[in-house]
Amino acid sequence: MLWLALHLPLLSLEAFCATLPAAAAQRPVVLLSEHRITHVNRAAAERGLRPGIKRSTALALAPELLIAEGHAGRDAAALQAVAHAALAYTPAVTLHGAQTVLLEIQASLRLFGGLAALQQRLAAAVAPLGHRVRSAAAPTALGAALLAQWHPAKRAGRSEQGDLIAGPHVTDLSALQTLLDGAPVWLLGPGRDHWEALQGMGLQTLSDLRQLPRAGLARRFGEGLMGDLDRALGLQADPRLWVELPAVFESRLELYTRAENSEQVLSGAAVLLARLVAWAQARHGRVAAFTLAMLHERQRQTTRPATELRVELAEPALDAAHLQLLLRERLARLVLAAPTLELRLHCRHLVAGHAPNGELFPTHAGAAEGLTRLLERLRARLGDAQVQRLLPVADHRPERASLAVPAQGDGLRGPAPPLPAPAAAGWALPLPLHRPAWLLPEPLPLPERDAQPLLEGRPLQLVSGPERIEAGWWDGTPTLRDYFIAQAEDGSLVWIYRGRLPGVVGEVNWFLQGRFA
Amino acid sequence: MPLRTPGGPAPALRGPQHQPLLPGAPESLHPALWRAHQLARPRQAVAASGHAELDAQLPGGGWPAGVLSELLLPHAGVGELRLLAPALAALQRQQRSVMWFDPPAAPCAWALSALGIDVRQLVVVHSRAGLSSAARPLLPAADILWALEQALKSGHLGAVLAWLPARLPADALRRLQLAAQAHDGPAFLLRDAQMRSQPSAAPLRLLLGSAGPDLLQVTLLKRRGPPLAQPLTLALAPVLSAPALARALRGRLPAPGATEPAAARRSAFPL
Repeated sequence: MLWLALHLPLLSLEAFCATLPAAAAQRPVVLLSEHRITHVNRAAAERGLRPGIKRSTALALAPELLIAEGHAGRDAAALQAVAHAALAYTPAVTLHGAQTVLLEIQASLRLFGGLAALQQRLAAAVAPLGHRVRSAAAPTALGAALLAQWHPAKRAGRSEQGDLIAGPHVTDLSALQTLLDGAPVWLLGPGRDHWEALQGMGLQTLSDLRQLPRAGLARRFGEGLMGDLDRALGLQADPRLWVELPAVFESRLELYTRAENSEQVLSGAAVLLARLVAWAQARHGRVAAFTLAMLHERQRQTTRPATELRVELAEPALDAAHLQLLLRERLARLVLAAPTLELRLHCRHLVAGHAPNGELFPTHAGAAEGLTRLLERLRARLGDAQVQRLLPVADHRPERASLAVPAQGDGLRGPAPPLPAPAAAGWALPLPLHRPAWLLPEPLPLPERDAQPLLEGRPLQLVSGPERIEAGWWDGTPTLRDYFIAQAEDGSLVWIYRGRLPGVVGEVNWFLQGRFA
Repeated sequence: MPLRTPGGPAPALRGPQHQPLLPGAPESLHPALWRAHQLARPRQAVAASGHAELDAQLPGGGWPAGVLSELLLPHAGVGELRLLAPALAALQRQQRSVMWFDPPAAPCAWALSALGIDVRQLVVVHSRAGLSSAARPLLPAADILWALEQALKSGHLGAVLAWLPARLPADALRRLQLAAQAHDGPAFLLRDAQMRSQPSAAPLRLLLGSAGPDLLQVTLLKRRGPPLAQPLTLALAPVLSAPALARALRGRLPAPGATEPAAARRSAFPL
């Protein structure tokens, strides 16, 4: 067995910072617990704030300080996203404490090409979640967790890959034992409570503990301490409960400030989308649709219903940037009834299937996918009805012969409509064109002079026709028309007709139907 | 109308760009160099227009790819689609899609497929109506400019046709021209003929006009090469049958409409 531990030392702080609007992230931020500071961010550390000092001291040092309490539920949600990201690489993932994710990776090493390659992939998978991660590998679960937590940086060669700092890597128990011998006693969970007593007895490191008689130690400090030590060194079995992936993705984020515009909503939603992608990756699927619910605060004793925004993808995707882009366009069209305080992301539509391969050279498949994405982007901004395909319909009435339908994403690969075979070369047309390319949305009535229709005050010369179209008596829109091709004064050709409806016999009425372009 | 080619004794239908390069000539130093009496050699592939007379006068022998080409029309329906259809059909035969933005009227699917255009590979994008009354005041063409820029930048389309409104911000065309560099294919902007006096960033500008039934007159306003004084007259895919064409030409020769006897007209078109 080989365990990889991912330890997130700044989890609480990062989980809180994710709820801040982008502008506030640069401010000094501290987390507080029982009136004492537990975590400081970089900006706060630069102002001399350290964990352990009191709230009043901290405010004196930095008046613009942003102070918040740690929130166990928020931290757990963030840690769960990391566990989901890890599940894409091994089925055996478990949580240890509030800040550590453990992965059993022995079986995955061969598939992913060794520990270094696996760590690189993990770093890339965890990076969008925005956490600093320290990792360590050891043959026991607890041993790996302790190494990642303690992080004896001086002893092991460390390499940084983005936000993932690879720590020590030991593969056999004796090496783990020598490494852990130097670890401080407080690392063990139960040891933390007895830290002062242990220090008073001169027991600083784990090797000090191991040299003492076991029965006496167990009587003074309880079996828990000795049990942990045994499990860390592999002397005792260490059964774990595995993290299981939920079938439906559901994640929420409580914002620190009211989000009033789409940019603020989007920065919060980006965190949730990163979690969604981690979850979908672990399920080996791609997102087909998701729903973002924006909850509003109570106003005057009435609760507004949450605003829900459903985003459906024409082509299921697993790209957080693309999902974010679609969401941005949809949000731009949305008018929020009230500021939102809480975001919830919900996804149950996952399409199982492999992710498309990255390609070195542009191919037809790549172009088709790019085109689908372009259509999706246009539809997200302009609306579904504004992006159209043409569909020829077998009907003689020109206003019905051509149908504009919304272009779905896969429309370009759809079944072939009933079309005559297009001319092989653009030139060698089998017949003269007898339908104009431009059809007016509404036929334009033309005035008449000397039995001649006028277009823009100039007479039209009829050069071909009539072509009688008499159709539609069966669906309530009877059409009785004589169509002519006419020449306008500048030589361009137009398509006009004379209505022959029974009610207006004798009265000649000319209409412009289209232009030959 | 006889075809006029600059460059003296060159045979008809052969433009100046087909003359062989002399060794040591300045134009052999760099592809971006050409002499004032020559046509430029575009670095990107061109799409043959399907009209030999026009190809001979276009730099590279076809519609340029990766840059804007402006077509100025007096009104919709002078034969612009029949001019472009051969190039669009050729691109679609290579499985490349064509996108139209804000066409001036509803395109007829049957007519387009008769012109060789595959309507399955054609997407028509309309800007949103009534946008000016929305909460945010927007430019009149904001939608279409945005969509056009996205389409050009994506680089996945074969050709783009956009009917732009008359008044545009000065930087819009330049921005589109930059976006077109990522586009691998011709990009046509169709604008009103009144815009011919306005400067434009497009390296190719053509003024279209009708020269008679099934004839198109093309004036090259701007190209990378010597100016062409005489407009070209191109024969378009015929709409009219031979007798109808003869009738149309007969109608044009005298002052149209006025002198033609009404009796003849009545006999031609019994009501």
